[in-house]
Amino acid sequence: MSRMIQISLPLFIVYLALTGNLEPANLVVGALVAVGISLLRPQMDLQSVALKRLPRFLWAAIRYIFVVAGDVIRGGISTARIVLDPALPLNPGIIAIPSGSISELGTALSAHSISLSPGEMVVAIDDRGVMYTHCLNVDESEKFVAEAQSLRQNLLSRMFE
Amino acid sequence: METIVTFTTWVVLAAHLLMALVAAWRVWRGENSIVRLTALDLAGTLTLAVLVLISILERNSIFVDTAIALAALSYLSTVAVAKFISDQKVF
Amino acid sequence: METVLQIAALALMVIGTLFSFIGVIGFIRMPDAYTRLHATGKVSVFGIVFLLLAAILLTPLSLWKGLVLILFVLLGSPSVAHSIASAAYRIGLPMSNPARDDLKGKMEQGDGKD
Repeated sequence: MSRMIQISLPLFIVYLALTGNLEPANLVVGALVAVGISLLRPQMDLQSVALKRLPRFLWAAIRYIFVVAGDVIRGGISTARIVLDPALPLNPGIIAIPSGSISELGTALSAHSISLSPGEMVVAIDDRGVMYTHCLNVDESEKFVAEAQSLRQNLLSRMFE
Repeated sequence: METIVTFTTWVVLAAHLLMALVAAWRVWRGENSIVRLTALDLAGTLTLAVLVLISILERNSIFVDTAIALAALSYLSTVAVAKFISDQKVF
Repeated sequence: METVLQIAALALMVIGTLFSFIGVIGFIRMPDAYTRLHATGKVSVFGIVFLLLAAILLTPLSLWKGLVLILFVLLGSPSVAHSIASAAYRIGLPMSNPARDDLKGKMEQGDGKD
């Protein structure tokens, strides 16, 4: 039941955002569509959040979004500087970054936030959650990513205990 | 002010069409399949931008709906082609 | 108020277009497939998101649709980059003068697993 709500509530919100009217008929149709799709539920292993931890979860999630946004802007500016430099100062390579997370969701979120920032891109992930990351500038990225990853990991573990 | 916004939007639209043309040229003349696939994805992304700009010009949000459909299709097709290149099969 | 919104939208449009332009220039200039993916990632992360923010400011009709599309682009673009890079590594595409390669020999190439 709680898994059904976890899948159908985001679908319901997306439906309302796309249709953009809040009449009761539309609400009913949206709820029916969302529940109907969630009945076709794939074998997903979703992580659940206990209700009394919800405020802490939301607070950590908001901080996580801002941390990732900061990383993305930093990566974008440094990539722009590399591209616009006439000498094209590339130092590319693949480095191994341990995600430090046991759960699959934590590893997936770490890989997502690393790939989102231009300048780093996850090429492969092995069974123990080590992310092989392609970087434009190996030395700079290795230093930066290690500390960014520990900060993000801290927030992720706060979100999912 | 309105004319400045419209004029800038037209200029930005022209720039995006030019960049989409460059990406299409890369699809036609790429070194290998991966570069061509990257260029295809880039062309799809720029087409998305063109749709958003048309919605600004027309003040009509139906083009954003089209852009959402294009984003979903372009995402799926790029992932499927990448999987086909690496495994020689789609599923 | 109207004017402030329009000026902000203009600035967002111009910044987004500049980032897209830098991305396309990087796509042309970079030497190999992996580094090119970094440049195209910038077009979708910065270019599209800034244009959509401008569209949200200029056309109030599309606020929620714009937010959904921003969410979709931000979720989709890293996984597209990852799938292309993974395919490139798996068919054995070489990097141009790599500084180091920690993945070498760890992923069996040409195998359809994973």
